[in-house]
Amino acid sequence: MTGTVKRVPSIWTTGSTDILNTGTWRTAIAVHEHRPAPCYGVCPVDGDIPVWVQQIRNEKFKEAWQTLVENNPIPAAIGRTCHRPCEGACNRTEYDGAVSINALEQYVGDMAIREGWEFPAPSDELDQKVAVIGGGPAGLSCAYQLRRKGVQVTIFDANPELGGVLRYGVPEFRLPKKMVAAETKRIVDLGIEVVTGRKLTGEDLGELDQGYSAIFIAFGAHEPKRLPQFSKDDSRVLDGITFLRSVRLDAPMELGRKVLVVGGGSVAMDVAGSALRLARQVEILALEGREVMPAPEDEIEDVIEEGAILNDGAMVKAVEDLSGTLLLHCIKVELDQDVPPGVIRPIEIAGTEFTLEADTVILAVGQDPELVDWEGRVQVARGMVEVDNDYRTSRVGIFAAGDVASSERFVATAVGDGKRAANSIVRYLGQKIVVEEGFADEAKEVAIDDINTFYFPTQEPGERDKVAVEIRKFGFDEIRLGLTDAQAFDQSKRCFSCGSCIECDNCSIFCPDMAIIKDSDAPLYYKVLEQYCKGCGCCLEECPRGAMGVKEETK
Amino acid sequence: MKADSNRLLLSGNHAVSHAVKLVNPNVMPVYPITPQTPILELITEFHAAGEMTGEIMTMESEHSAMAAAITASLTGVRVFTATASQGLLLMHEMLHYAAGARAPIVMFNVNRTLGSPWGFWPDQTDSLAQRDTGWIQYYCENGQESHDTTLQAFRVAEQVLLPAMVIHEAFYVSHSMEAVELATQDQVDAYLPDFNPPHRLDPQIGESWGNTVSQVMFQNHRRDMGDAMERVLQVAKKADQEMKELVGRGYGIHEQYRCDGAEFIIATMGSMTGTVRDAVDELRADGLPVGLFKIKLFRPFPIADVREILAGIPKVMVLDRNFAPGTGGILYQELKAALYGLEDAPEIHGYLAGVGGTNITPAAIKEMVQSAMGEKPSAHSVWKG
Amino acid sequence: MGYEINEEKVFSSGHAACPGCSEALAIRFVLNTLGRDAIAVVPPSCIAIISGPQPLSSMGIPVYQTTLEASAASAAGIKRALVSKGNDHTNVVAIAGDGGTYDIGFQALSAAAERNEDIIYICLDNEGYMNTGSQKSSATPSMAFTTSTPAGKLSPKKNVPEIMVAHNIPYMATATIGYPDDLARKVKRAMEIKGGLRFINILTPCLTGWGVPDSAGPKTSRLAVQSGIYPLYEVENGEFYTLNYGPNGLSVADYVTTQKRYRHLSLENIELIQAEVDHDWARLQKKF
Repeated sequence: MTGTVKRVPSIWTTGSTDILNTGTWRTAIAVHEHRPAPCYGVCPVDGDIPVWVQQIRNEKFKEAWQTLVENNPIPAAIGRTCHRPCEGACNRTEYDGAVSINALEQYVGDMAIREGWEFPAPSDELDQKVAVIGGGPAGLSCAYQLRRKGVQVTIFDANPELGGVLRYGVPEFRLPKKMVAAETKRIVDLGIEVVTGRKLTGEDLGELDQGYSAIFIAFGAHEPKRLPQFSKDDSRVLDGITFLRSVRLDAPMELGRKVLVVGGGSVAMDVAGSALRLARQVEILALEGREVMPAPEDEIEDVIEEGAILNDGAMVKAVEDLSGTLLLHCIKVELDQDVPPGVIRPIEIAGTEFTLEADTVILAVGQDPELVDWEGRVQVARGMVEVDNDYRTSRVGIFAAGDVASSERFVATAVGDGKRAANSIVRYLGQKIVVEEGFADEAKEVAIDDINTFYFPTQEPGERDKVAVEIRKFGFDEIRLGLTDAQAFDQSKRCFSCGSCIECDNCSIFCPDMAIIKDSDAPLYYKVLEQYCKGCGCCLEECPRGAMGVKEETK
Repeated sequence: MKADSNRLLLSGNHAVSHAVKLVNPNVMPVYPITPQTPILELITEFHAAGEMTGEIMTMESEHSAMAAAITASLTGVRVFTATASQGLLLMHEMLHYAAGARAPIVMFNVNRTLGSPWGFWPDQTDSLAQRDTGWIQYYCENGQESHDTTLQAFRVAEQVLLPAMVIHEAFYVSHSMEAVELATQDQVDAYLPDFNPPHRLDPQIGESWGNTVSQVMFQNHRRDMGDAMERVLQVAKKADQEMKELVGRGYGIHEQYRCDGAEFIIATMGSMTGTVRDAVDELRADGLPVGLFKIKLFRPFPIADVREILAGIPKVMVLDRNFAPGTGGILYQELKAALYGLEDAPEIHGYLAGVGGTNITPAAIKEMVQSAMGEKPSAHSVWKG
Repeated sequence: MGYEINEEKVFSSGHAACPGCSEALAIRFVLNTLGRDAIAVVPPSCIAIISGPQPLSSMGIPVYQTTLEASAASAAGIKRALVSKGNDHTNVVAIAGDGGTYDIGFQALSAAAERNEDIIYICLDNEGYMNTGSQKSSATPSMAFTTSTPAGKLSPKKNVPEIMVAHNIPYMATATIGYPDDLARKVKRAMEIKGGLRFINILTPCLTGWGVPDSAGPKTSRLAVQSGIYPLYEVENGEFYTLNYGPNGLSVADYVTTQKRYRHLSLENIELIQAEVDHDWARLQKKF
């Protein structure tokens, strides 16, 4: 056709706005961050808990175990015995109850035993040898960390088997021996020499100096503290750890009909629980009120369920020897708040006197390390081996950790100290420490206000089921059943993953400028496109878990 | 209808409907208004009978009808709608929009008085008030012309990408029955090429229309519209010429009737031209050198042709069936403006004749001519009739 | 973990929306769900600004920018033209603001619904004429400040979702940006139900007009849902109601106190709004 239009309207739109630089509008840009969670901040072994909980959620169980054992080689044991500062610090605590982190740890630890997962052999073998004195939590942890790095390790332990307090203290109903055996074996199988039944003393130092480049002292604290009100020689007055050891060795000490346990910590509860199972009438006398007793609340609850009577916030003033039984004159006390940390000063409350009668008294008020042989060889202070921040004793090449060197008498703390001491030893040996990916110095711990709780519908915390009290009283079988798969999954889903990106894509989804894209090469999974980011902060606000921050920009 | 004849007795409106049926547009948004309604009624009847296949959209207003017409057109199909009077005014915003969008819609408008007060009478003010909207405007004097011009309008609009409005007056044309020779389907198929605009709303192409422009872009776009409108003069002449060759009927974009040797020319548009033809015949019989200059294509206004045709003519009398308060007759104003500065420009008498549909007879026109011949023209429109 | 949203990359970066703009987010989920076989109609609004300055477009599909009152008619015109060409697959979507929907565009919308035009109509409802600087529309809720209701609006919001339901259209849904998966699902659902007008009202808090921080669009929209002010539901064929997200115990006070447009409210005012919300929710609940 002639006259067909040649000239066309001038303003059809053909380009795309993606050539524009709308990023120039911003004054701040969002950045993905790996920030510490509060559980991490208080974890005795420095575990990045959100990471392995997330791995459970993703059903990457072996990866979860591998993450766990980076810092703690005995998760089945610690998953039963940790004092759980993580759960106290958990951001979920004030929302709808803490995530049952400890139970999840046990879940993974038990699975590893069941599945027979092993540690990989060290990739390097070093010539240097280290002697580890004591095969308890601190010694095992240190030996494991050293061995992974290729160091030659010998563990010396006075007992016939490794495990220390886990094997000879914590009762079966809380931690089955087979778990301890499996986890210690797995460590030893890394190629660790073990010498059991030999109690090393300070006098053996010369011999060790010959054969070893460094020595790690971690034989714990086994000298029970006494109370002046009780006679040292009275056979009716026992000490807790000796009693627990006798139970662990299947030769329990004789007890009278009425047993009084003095103490408010885990050992006291373990003693009470064990005594109850030996068919005795048990009362507990604790200096602290129940809310501030050192024993975790669930342990207190267990023994009370099982029939123990708790007299909390009280102390023994005097002991009267009735023929056969002991009559304890007690009084209610308050604890003086105005004291330095670590000091306990009870104030008697006039007019609250009462008496308790007992056939057997078991004192569980703490232990001290046995250091008679060591004084003069390494510096000792306040009844413990003195160490600096790097676990170095006063003598070059000798390190110490765990109960022997710390007043924080928690098994998990001993594991953490063992790990950190191992790093210190490795440095001493002139080896490089491979620094794990940690947190940026400026990274702020994630607080509950950083969590977008919309993404977390409230969900009841779920703890391990307990065996019915009528059944458990008649034996030493474990009280708590491990989490079922479903329970573990539910708990893992409850974790906010504070500060740890789980690739939920919210930052990308809620960006009105499509300025955040998934990038497998990015260290934290996403790339912020500077050309487009207008700095609105929607990503930050909609990140459920505080895994983003803001970087101010000045132009 | 006899099998061998395309000649039917039709109202002006139905003559339009038949033209639309032959074009068979893809989309027809419609809304009723007196005196346009018979156009849409017959179209919907054709459609119901399966003689038309496009999409009929029964809109809720003329505004929406034009809105739908624009987008349908921009989607690359042929679109027709029709309206009148208030309906056209309600479309006003969209008329500008359609032209700006370069949508070659064809719309028929039946001239009718504008309220208030209400009336139903022939008056061109409704469409003349849209003269600045960027639409091509054709004024027709009878059903046959409306039928043929509707066909031409599609061709012209689609070539220049501007919308076109074809117009006739209420009742005098819209409802008057006359014999109309319809174009045949073969003729129309040969006359109208396929409409396939290169730019359109099409996901395969991906182009958009209407995004915000800069001042310069806007100016350039308006200039392009002006250029397209300029081209209409030639394109419309050619379209008319080709129709004449194809179907034997042509109209030009304007018509000079008995203007040879004329010293007095009556200029007008629409149905008035028929009356003027009779008056001219009588005046010529009386020996007076009077002719008729019919403006058919009002937009674009054929300024150069007007200057050429009217140069040297002593007197021109403009009859306006429309009224713009404050300036008077609209054709009168346009002609004066077109002739401004012409050395041998005629004297121009502007008469408001037939406003509101009042009847103007050939005798009344003769009287106006005779009085104008002996007078100096007023500088303003003068009420007559 | 996270939302399951399948996005086709249709909406582009570099658009001119304010930082954090809720409308941009809504457009993203609408366009990226619709995909490339679609044509959009946009009337004057922030949406038109977001769609890009000539010669650039942020929307990777043809967009026709229409007049404020004509969105539904314009969209219908496109659809009919496509049908006339034998194209039965391309989705035509009008994306208009609340002024262009509840007010000036309502006549054309109602008519398109009555004709049951085969189009998707998305109203990005930010409860006022925000593009012109926050004036009242019939979508502005009770007591809200706008520059044309400086003392607070004296009448409640027009219930366009229910009015659309009353047209017996095949699909009506309310959605908002704080629930992007729900929003995208509803767009998808609208695409599946062909052959009639499908209407989705998307609440898009205007950061400047409502007086909330740039980062608070999604959060504010969720508060509207959780406080019962804006329940998310869908209705098929004017009859079958489904509740997606309703109030979860938050109050009107939880919602209004985060927005500057309500900062003039007294406790009595808040109670009145609460009563209005309770009443509306009770009435709506009967339909599920």
